[in-house]
Amino acid sequence: MLRLVIQRLLALIPLLFIVSVLTFSFTSLLPADPADLIVGEQGTPEQYAAVRERLGLNQPIVTRYLRWVDRAAHGDLGTSFFNSVKVTDALMQRLPITASLTAVSALIAIIVGLAAGILAALRPRSLIDRFATLGATFGQAVPNFWFGLLLAAIFAVGLRWFPATGFTPITQSPWDWLRSVTLPALALGLASSAAIARQVRSSMVGVLQQDYIRAARAQGLSRRRVVFKHALKNALVPVVAVLSFQITVLLGGALIVEQVFAINGLGTLAITAVRRQDIPMIQGLVLVMVGLVVIVQLATDLIYGYLNPKARPS
Amino acid sequence: MKQWLRGSILSLAVTVGLNLGAASASAAPSGTFRFAEEVKLVTLDPYQHSGGGISYMRPVYETLFTRTPDDKVVPLLATGYKIDGLKVTLTLRKDVKFSDGTPFNAEAVVANLKRGIKLNVLAALRPIGDVTADDDYTVTITLKQADPSLITDMTTEPGMMISPKALDNPGLDRNPVGTGPYLYDKADSREGEVRVYKPNPNYWAPDQVGLQRIEIWELPDDTARLNALKTGQVDVGIWLANPQAAIIGRTPGLKLVKNVGGYTYQVIIQDRAGTKVPAFADKRVRQAMNYAIDRDAYNKAVDFGLSEPAYQPYPKGTWEHDPGLEGRYKYDPEKAKTLLKEAGYEKGFSFDMPSIPIFQPRLEALAGFFREVGITMNIVPVEPGTLARRSMTTDFPATNLVINSQADPLYLGNWYVSQDASFNTYKVKPSDEIAKLLQEGLQSADPDVRASIYKKLVDQLADESYLIAVTSTPLLFGVREEVASNPTLKYRPGEDTVYFRGLKMDN
Repeated sequence: MLRLVIQRLLALIPLLFIVSVLTFSFTSLLPADPADLIVGEQGTPEQYAAVRERLGLNQPIVTRYLRWVDRAAHGDLGTSFFNSVKVTDALMQRLPITASLTAVSALIAIIVGLAAGILAALRPRSLIDRFATLGATFGQAVPNFWFGLLLAAIFAVGLRWFPATGFTPITQSPWDWLRSVTLPALALGLASSAAIARQVRSSMVGVLQQDYIRAARAQGLSRRRVVFKHALKNALVPVVAVLSFQITVLLGGALIVEQVFAINGLGTLAITAVRRQDIPMIQGLVLVMVGLVVIVQLATDLIYGYLNPKARPS
Repeated sequence: MKQWLRGSILSLAVTVGLNLGAASASAAPSGTFRFAEEVKLVTLDPYQHSGGGISYMRPVYETLFTRTPDDKVVPLLATGYKIDGLKVTLTLRKDVKFSDGTPFNAEAVVANLKRGIKLNVLAALRPIGDVTADDDYTVTITLKQADPSLITDMTTEPGMMISPKALDNPGLDRNPVGTGPYLYDKADSREGEVRVYKPNPNYWAPDQVGLQRIEIWELPDDTARLNALKTGQVDVGIWLANPQAAIIGRTPGLKLVKNVGGYTYQVIIQDRAGTKVPAFADKRVRQAMNYAIDRDAYNKAVDFGLSEPAYQPYPKGTWEHDPGLEGRYKYDPEKAKTLLKEAGYEKGFSFDMPSIPIFQPRLEALAGFFREVGITMNIVPVEPGTLARRSMTTDFPATNLVINSQADPLYLGNWYVSQDASFNTYKVKPSDEIAKLLQEGLQSADPDVRASIYKKLVDQLADESYLIAVTSTPLLFGVREEVASNPTLKYRPGEDTVYFRGLKMDN
């Protein structure tokens, strides 16, 4: 297990290198220019040229990239093109917010997805099954930003049960944190819960028809024990793979949902940085997102190994 | 050297400046005011600031001059000014200190303006040749060219005074030090989310510090900002003409406040000598385009009825506005077709127009109007953020931009009309009459004199029709009704913010 962790962490180095090269290249190909935004509409061509010089945008891309790598290797991801905010500070401030939102969304997705999938699998073609299937289709079809707007309109603006915007850190007030994270997490988790429910249902239906389940039932084991002790663990194997993918989807979805609820996470930072062409910030964001995805996939592999001994590395 | 205004205007009442926006603020600050900005904070350094977001700086930084709620320019950190030819002498208040204890004096003003000139970000400081301290509280600015808008410009970023001790701080953009009634609380603020301000205990006019706390929330998403207003998370927010602003006007408990200022959306015919598009050289063609636009329909469809049809760059309520031009190019497609026929373009013509996503609905509407009279406007997308720069090239024969309704009319010359104007990219010489009026406008700082000159200018420009104004959108504020009735809440004319000085809340 330790070997797997080390292998994955080592694999992160070339991956981050490739991703950083690609990000640097793509941002350089964009016709938009941060110098345009910095000098504004009143700017003169001379100012524009001076800003490009100051930001080092006139240097060859390879020179700029190597300079960035050198600094990044020393833990310095640079400073925003637009102010004195350090990229690492901006990322560290927002990472817990997006991580917290994604974690709660994933939790909601797992609970709702598992419950709906199991219920549907236990009574295939029943009303519950059809209802769960319909719900899953709805969940996957509805855009998360629209669902977020709907939740905000009903539960925040209408009923005033939750705040319409903003995020309270858990360290400040756990209750306010829960209130601030509930609606965006529901909006974000809906589609993933639908995907998990579908996977759980199909996997569970298959497992429940296996001989060992029949044998367990024949031994007189209770239905709960058969389902949760014997069937679920095996049914979860393909679900974990889906979950790994869904968490990366949740991270991507956070970009939009954070806007709807004015949450100042990595998504909001990414949108601001891309709009401004704030290249150091974009670079830092991509690295953090890639790192998060790799960690999620590593965790998934570890869980996968626990559930399925055959998948454990030798 | 022309003497464009002689004599002292020191008699401007300093007391007016002292009591701006103030109802009776009590000595003990109390209450919290929460304001929603539509742009994220970029910098708190006024000399590096361009675009929206002046609200973030207003609680901390005071200006040499300021505008009253009824749009009069009065001294604030200055006590008066005197203009003699190209020399502008400012006298300063003697009882002011920066929040770090540094005295506010002539040396501080010189240091600030010199830094601003060196940075060269603010266009308003470009006409300044030199700044010197005559004594501790008198400063002389020597201009390179006549600039009647200098004092007015000193009511915004160019007139904001930073503590000389903070000028060299590389982190000035997040550590502002001014003379204002509030201090920026970096520890309580959350980067990218909310900026918090606390009272300045050493403020020179303590009765004007009415709040215990100011929160300026960074809420660029229109729906999120609207929801925050509806749920009382913010008291006041700013909006552009969009569906959410229209919703505010019909939501119980909320009020949509329109204030003087905002912007006018214009189509600018740059190739008016007909280099690329020969039709543009004919004034009748340009006038036909003006007649072809149904501004009422445009306002309803694109601006959600929140704007006013515009036939000139300056809207009602501004001193440059000429009421005589109202309805000058009222929608008349038949007249447009007749003019095109007279000009020999009965079968129409086509041209390219650059577009960024935010302008796309505007241009689609205009393209529809032009199509009705036979003119084909091809909308060519350009990368967001590059429209202004592309408009300073000859890539296109025309462009479309907004002009701030509060921009001094001398900028009409500097930006669009003069032969060397930034957006007159084909370097077309203006008519002799227009060139003469532009020069005359620079010779006086007296608003009454200038008003009569610039009214003639906008009249001439309307006739030439190379600046085709479409709609003027006022500054729009969404306000909670109980806050809207607060007598200390006043909106700054021409700025998308309020007066924090003198504001008091009972919450």
